[in-house]
Amino acid sequence: MLQNFRQSMAWVHTWFGLALGFVLVVVFFFGSLSVFDREIDRWAIPASRFEPQPMPSFDKLMRPIFEDMQPLPDARAFTAPLVNGPLPDHFDKVKSWGAYTTHRDPVLTMFAGYEVPNAKDPETMIFAQRTVDPRTGAALPDDRLKVGSGFFYPLHYSLTFYWKNVGYWIVGFAALMMLVALVTGVVMHRKIFRELFTFRPRKTTQRSMLDLHNLTGVVALPFHFFFAFTGLVIFAGIYFPIGHTQLVALHDQHEIHEALETGLPHDPAGVPAKMASVDAMVKEAQRRWAEKGMAGDVGFLQVQHVGDANGYVSIYRAGTDRIALTGEGIHFKASTGVVMREDPPPTAVGRINEFLTGLHLQHFRHWLLRWLYVLGGLLGCACIATGFLFFVEKRKRQHAKQGSSGARVVDALGVTTLTGMMIAALGMLIANRLLPDVMPDGWPLRGDMEKYCFWGTWVMAMAHAFWRTAPVAEGRIAPAWREQCLAIAVLGVAAPVLNWVTTGDHLLRTIGNGYWPVAGADLFMLTGAALALLAARKLQLRAESKITVNTPAMEAGHA
Amino acid sequence: MPDALMLLVALVVTVMGMGWLALSVENHWEQVRGKAACPPATVKSLRVLGAVALVTSLVLCLMVDSASMASLVWVMSVAGAAVIVAFTLTWRASALAPLVFWTAR
Repeated sequence: MLQNFRQSMAWVHTWFGLALGFVLVVVFFFGSLSVFDREIDRWAIPASRFEPQPMPSFDKLMRPIFEDMQPLPDARAFTAPLVNGPLPDHFDKVKSWGAYTTHRDPVLTMFAGYEVPNAKDPETMIFAQRTVDPRTGAALPDDRLKVGSGFFYPLHYSLTFYWKNVGYWIVGFAALMMLVALVTGVVMHRKIFRELFTFRPRKTTQRSMLDLHNLTGVVALPFHFFFAFTGLVIFAGIYFPIGHTQLVALHDQHEIHEALETGLPHDPAGVPAKMASVDAMVKEAQRRWAEKGMAGDVGFLQVQHVGDANGYVSIYRAGTDRIALTGEGIHFKASTGVVMREDPPPTAVGRINEFLTGLHLQHFRHWLLRWLYVLGGLLGCACIATGFLFFVEKRKRQHAKQGSSGARVVDALGVTTLTGMMIAALGMLIANRLLPDVMPDGWPLRGDMEKYCFWGTWVMAMAHAFWRTAPVAEGRIAPAWREQCLAIAVLGVAAPVLNWVTTGDHLLRTIGNGYWPVAGADLFMLTGAALALLAARKLQLRAESKITVNTPAMEAGHA
Repeated sequence: MPDALMLLVALVVTVMGMGWLALSVENHWEQVRGKAACPPATVKSLRVLGAVALVTSLVLCLMVDSASMASLVWVMSVAGAAVIVAFTLTWRASALAPLVFWTAR
C-alpha cells in the first residue's frame, strides 16, 4: 500500500495523531493544571486559604470526626444497585479509616470504608469522605468542589467519564498511541539534531508549524515519553485487570498469604476491642524515622478493622523530600499500640515502581521541577496543536478546490479542543466565583453546577468553532481562532477580578502576604490572557495582510 | 551556596551548554556570526564545551537533590534550555554572540 517504511510510519503518525490528538491535548492541558491542583483548590474554595497543616491529632480531632462520618447520597446511589434489598440508613461496620495529606494541603481529606450488608459481592465497600480544617475539625460543606484536585485532575486521567471506566480506557489508549506517535515521529523526522533548535516563523505557515511541532516534540521528548509511559504504569491495574478477572482466586490467595507473612491480619477477629492512643503510635513512628536519619511528617495514616481485636494502625512517612509518595510504613496493633511490623526497604522492582509513579504524581516539594513539568505539559499541548494546524494547512487549499470540508472539520475540532478547552476552564472558575454560596432548593449542588458550567461553556465554544471556521473551506484562516483568543483574554482577566471582588484577595495583597497559591493562580491566568491577546493581534494582522495581498489578484481576476 | 542559587546556576549553565551545542550547527552559527563558516576546530571545541556544561549542570543538580530527583530536574532543564536557545535564535540570534566571544570575527 505504502511505498516504504517511512511513509507507512507517517501514515500511522498522521491518522492516529489526528484522531487521538483531541484526547491527548485535553490530557496534557489538564495534566499541566493538575501540577498545581491543590493551589487551584485554594483559589476555588476561599475558606481553605491558609497555610498547609501537618496531620492533626488523631485521638482529639480525627477520631470523633471519623466516628461521625457516613456515606454521602452520591455514594449511596452508586452502591444501591449492588445490594439485595434496601440500603441500611446507617452503616455500622467500619472496615477502615484513612487520611492523606501533603506539604501543600491546608485542609485534610478523611475517608472511611464500611461493609455493605446484603451486598451481592461480599467484598463490596461503601465510602464516606469529609474534608476538614485540621486546626479546628470544622467540616467544609460537602457540596464544595475542589476544582483542581476534584475536577481538573480526574479530567486529566479519566475525562470524568466513569461509566464502565470508559474514560480511563480512552485515555490509556491515547497514551499508548502517544508512545507510537513519538516513535513514528522520530522515524519520520530526518534531522533531529541538525534541526533541534530550528523555528522559522517567516517561512510559510505550513513550514513554521512543522518547525514548532518538531521543536516542541523533540526538546521535551523524554518528558512526553516518560509521562505517557508512567501514566500507563499508574493505571496498570485497570488496563491489565487480571487480578480481578482470570486470576481472582490467585489474587485472593496471595492477599491471605501476604497477611501471614507480614503478620497484619487479613480479616477481623469478630471480637470487639478498644483502641489505644494513635497519637502515641505517631510519636513512636516519628521517633523511629528520626533514628534512621529520615525525620519527617506523617503523609498517610490508616486504621484497618476499626474496633476489632485484629485492628491495626499503619503510619506512613510523607514523601515530601523524595519521589515516592509515601514510605517507611510502621504498623501498630490498634488495641495495644505495640509495633507489629516495620516495612522493610522496598525491593529493586518496588523502587522502580515508586520512582515511575512518583515522578508522574509529584507530591514532592520542588517548585522548580513542578514548573518545569508545567512547561513540559504545555510543550506537549503546543506539539499537538501545531500538529493539527499543520494537517489543516497542508490540506485546506486542496480540500477547498475539491469542495471537501475535511480540513474545516479538523480546524473546528482543533479550535474546540484548544481554545475552547481553556475557555471552558476559565468559565468554570468564573462560575465558581459567581454562583450563590448555597444553591436554592431544587437546584443541583454547587459543585455540580460548576461542572455543568464547564461543559456548557465548552459546548458553546464548540458551536462557535464550527460556525466561525467556514472560511477554511475556502482555503483561508478561520476567524474562530482569533475570536476565541479574545474570549480567553477577557475571561482570563475577569476571573482574577472576580476573585478580588468576591474575596478581597487582590494580587497586591496575596503577593504582599506571600500567599502564592492564589497569587500564582491569578498571575497564571493574567499571563495566559496577555498571551491570548497577543495571539489574537497577530492573527488579526495576518488576516489583514492576506486580504491586502489577495485583493489585487482577485481584482485582476475580475477584470 | 543556598540550594535555590545553585539550581539557578545549573539552569544558566544548561542554557549556555545548549547554546554552544546549537552554535556548533552550521545554520545557527550563521544566524549568530554571519556568512563566514565556522572552522572545524571551533565546531569541535563548541561541542566539547556544550557537553562539559551539561555535565556540570547535572553535577550541580546532584549536589542539591537526591539522585532520583536531580535527574528529573536536569532532564527537564535541558528541555527548557533548548526552547530558550531555539527562540533566542529565532528572534534575537545576536544575543548568543557572547557565548563565542573569543573566536575571531
